[in-house]
Amino acid sequence: MAGLVTTFGAGAMTNSIGEIRDADFLFVIGSNTTEAHPIIAMEMKRAVKRGATLVVADPRSIWLTSMAERHLKLRPGTDIWLLNAMANVIVTEELYDEDFVAHNTEGFEAVAETVRAYTPEAAEQVTGVPAEEIRATARQYATTRKAGIYYTLGITEHSHGTDNVYALANLVLMTGHLGHASCGMNPLRGQNNVQGANDAGATPVFLPGYQRVDDPAVLAKYQASWGVELDPTPGLNLNEMMKVAGTQLKGFFVMGEDILLSEPNVAHLEEGLNGIEFLVLQDIFLNETARFADVILPAACFAEKDGVFTNSERRVQRVRKGVEPPGEARADWEILQDLARLCGADWDYGDPAEIYAEMVKDAPKFAGISHARIEREGGIQWPCASPDEPGTTFLHEGGILRGKGLFTPVDYRPSMELEDSEYPLLLSTGRTLYHYNSATQTRREQGAGFKQPEAYVELHPKDAGRRGIADGDLVELLTRRGNLRCRALISRQVRRGCIWMPFHFAEARANLLTNDVGDAVTGTAEYKVCAAEVKRLSEQPAPVAFRGSYYAVEGPGPGKVDELPMAPVSAADPGD
Amino acid sequence: MTQPQTLTLNGRELAFAPGETVLEVAQRAGSFIPTLCHDPRLAPAGACRTCLVEIEGWRRMAPACATPATAGMAITSESGRIDRHRKSLMALYLADHPEGFVGSELGAPDQVYQLAERYAAPTDWPRMDNIRAGRPLDENPYILFDATKCIACARCTRYCDEVEAVTAITLAGRGSQTTIATVDNLSLLDTTCEMCGGCIDTCPTGAMAEKIPLLTAARPERELTKVRTTCNYCGVGCQMDLNIDPEGNGGRGKVVKITSPAPGTTTNDGNLCVKGRFAYDFIDHEDRLTTPLVRGADGQLQPASWSEALQRAAEGLLGVAERHGKDALGFISSSRCTVEENYLVQKMARAVFGTNHVHQCAAT
Ligand code: SF4
Ligand code: SF4
Ligand code: FES
Repeated sequence: MAGLVTTFGAGAMTNSIGEIRDADFLFVIGSNTTEAHPIIAMEMKRAVKRGATLVVADPRSIWLTSMAERHLKLRPGTDIWLLNAMANVIVTEELYDEDFVAHNTEGFEAVAETVRAYTPEAAEQVTGVPAEEIRATARQYATTRKAGIYYTLGITEHSHGTDNVYALANLVLMTGHLGHASCGMNPLRGQNNVQGANDAGATPVFLPGYQRVDDPAVLAKYQASWGVELDPTPGLNLNEMMKVAGTQLKGFFVMGEDILLSEPNVAHLEEGLNGIEFLVLQDIFLNETARFADVILPAACFAEKDGVFTNSERRVQRVRKGVEPPGEARADWEILQDLARLCGADWDYGDPAEIYAEMVKDAPKFAGISHARIEREGGIQWPCASPDEPGTTFLHEGGILRGKGLFTPVDYRPSMELEDSEYPLLLSTGRTLYHYNSATQTRREQGAGFKQPEAYVELHPKDAGRRGIADGDLVELLTRRGNLRCRALISRQVRRGCIWMPFHFAEARANLLTNDVGDAVTGTAEYKVCAAEVKRLSEQPAPVAFRGSYYAVEGPGPGKVDELPMAPVSAADPGD
Repeated sequence: MTQPQTLTLNGRELAFAPGETVLEVAQRAGSFIPTLCHDPRLAPAGACRTCLVEIEGWRRMAPACATPATAGMAITSESGRIDRHRKSLMALYLADHPEGFVGSELGAPDQVYQLAERYAAPTDWPRMDNIRAGRPLDENPYILFDATKCIACARCTRYCDEVEAVTAITLAGRGSQTTIATVDNLSLLDTTCEMCGGCIDTCPTGAMAEKIPLLTAARPERELTKVRTTCNYCGVGCQMDLNIDPEGNGGRGKVVKITSPAPGTTTNDGNLCVKGRFAYDFIDHEDRLTTPLVRGADGQLQPASWSEALQRAAEGLLGVAERHGKDALGFISSSRCTVEENYLVQKMARAVFGTNHVHQCAAT
């Protein structure tokens, strides 16, 4: 996100979900779209069926690769090499949009200079992707007008995640794939309202609407509106806060997050939390963080309250109350208001519509949006500066928001932790279709357990064979920070030497294993890559770890098969 | 610019865009033509014959859903001949459908019954006794296939193929025994099925239906209240309708199923994924927190009143700020909560406590 704001002046999908079906070229990198964003994947499938070219860059053979014209199966953590090599091709073969670069961007020369060293041949050595594939992808991307880039966690959850975003942005800027339909730079947001939480200013650097806290004019505006002195120094981001929990930070207010389950390097965090003095937790379920809480406030879930969520394409949409919360649980906004008043504030909001109105009053990007308007028209996409503007389906039409798009040269830095003889495998973690984040919700769903009942690690047959591991075996997964037990899922979808694990399961917290070395700019921890080893624990009756999995070696089935014959049971005998 | 092309429908002149079908032109003009096998997300199949219309100069009636509009076409969608066709077609479907209108009320409304009623189709035609094979032992948790209600319109299989692109289900068998099967008759769990529930959504009769509400909260859909909202899982922000039994949960209201808005009306185009459509058990889960808790002197969490808990929370936070300064506090907001709630958390951190240490899982 930081990367996008620096480059384009806004941190959101530049284009819209509905435009994907009309794209002619889709470059999907670090996004297992069919599992993390199934509905966006449907749009991509539609585009491909219509004739669009799909190129997927991912260390795993994710489902989407089965529909792709090319799968760039790069080594985990080598994205910069791949992207810079694509830029290299575009620069050397002069495929860039000269006019766009001249009028709408700055800093092109520096990038052209940097990527000179990243030849496709050299990139092949590092990424494992054949030079010709890189060339072909770069050419096709540069020469197709409706060419969009789609990415998610995979690209940002590295210690150099922000660099990855810059490298992608460089490609977008040099080709001018911006400011018209079905192109652009499109981060797919993992959680329902990440976009909205950022929009609303729940970040250490920005007040609502991406206005910096250290901008004196902004600060003055908010001091006048809120009637208090405000601190102009940006605060700590989540990753930094977790690191100084117990030392610099002595008290926490936590709403709707299980910081223990979703933070990397949990062992360190637990130690820190033991040293704090006070923690308030507000959530719908007890979670792991509750062990450290002094007060727990029961909240309403999405079906029990009003408000808005903002989706990945900047569309502000209503959440509507359908049922009453259980017991004494209350909507978060009501709890927050009561708590703030006890702490000395004079808040008096009658409903979420009033809160929203207050927010947009000082945030020009959303000024034209209101609950009443969404009620009449349906979701509205920001920027929308006044009530008579329709909203914006794609950004940067007729000029880049920040004036000029800023090229940012980036160089490859190896992942902080690489494999060695003791930990010879590279572990990545990610999402699966059937569970959601820390799975506090989906694991309380009867159905999800049928398909994926317990934690598993995907392991290449060759790597499994050398360790004597069979499909479904109980294994121990070790990294420098910890170990855990789970099932082995033998799969050819991972590269040799790489293993992969979903991070949804509390009893096998993948985040115990991962690395909390943060990205220099966003502080996003390095979930994606760390060194690991797998050991077979003992032979256990092996249940199917993931039924009907596209990722399993044996392919779909068989779990339990219907015993009934296909033939009709009571109908006329087909013999007569 | 070429002149917009026009045709007439029941004497009314209508403009159309190249590539539109007769049905699309009619729907845009607000004229109802009955359909069963049509779904705007799918390529026309022209399989059910429900949408037949008369076109001047054509000897046989034509399926509106599969006939491209052409300039000057004169179309009739209401006539004695069409009405007779609709009556006998619906009578045929009824003869192969469960008797009576009662069963239909359990799941989604059954359009065969609805159309039969609308066109007053005879209900006394001899019943067909060819029984379609079902998959009664399919142990998947969500999707029920009731073969008796299947009319073999193939909307579910075409959806699975064309939209979800996993082809988990397929038409099998012939003639009146045509049914919906999986490879080797496997349970859906063991196929490539991703449990998106699109087959349920597109099915016009409720032959593909949701297991859980059918088993536990069997109320006719027309008695449920629908509340349009936004999915609380990923950043696509699908629009969905909570189907609420207002009397459920002792009057609190109970979400008994989730359905998608009509195709073409929202970003998700009538689609949902397994989480959005089915993962709502958590709403009424017994683990939900229902009362504030406060840690007592014994180190255990104890139930407390709201005023007690809020007082403790306020004192605790203010106490830390007093002892260690405002920047000893961290505020973690949530991308799971609403925009308004995130606004309030950052305003509390900044305006009430004076710190900019406020964040959430920003990068995901
Ligand atoms: S739930 Fe989705 S994937 Fe499964 S059979 Fe139905 S349409 Fe196909
Ligand atoms: S239904 Fe699925 S794809 Fe749509 S917002 Fe919810 S989780 Fe995302
Ligand atoms: S709807 Fe036209 S043939 Fe079925």
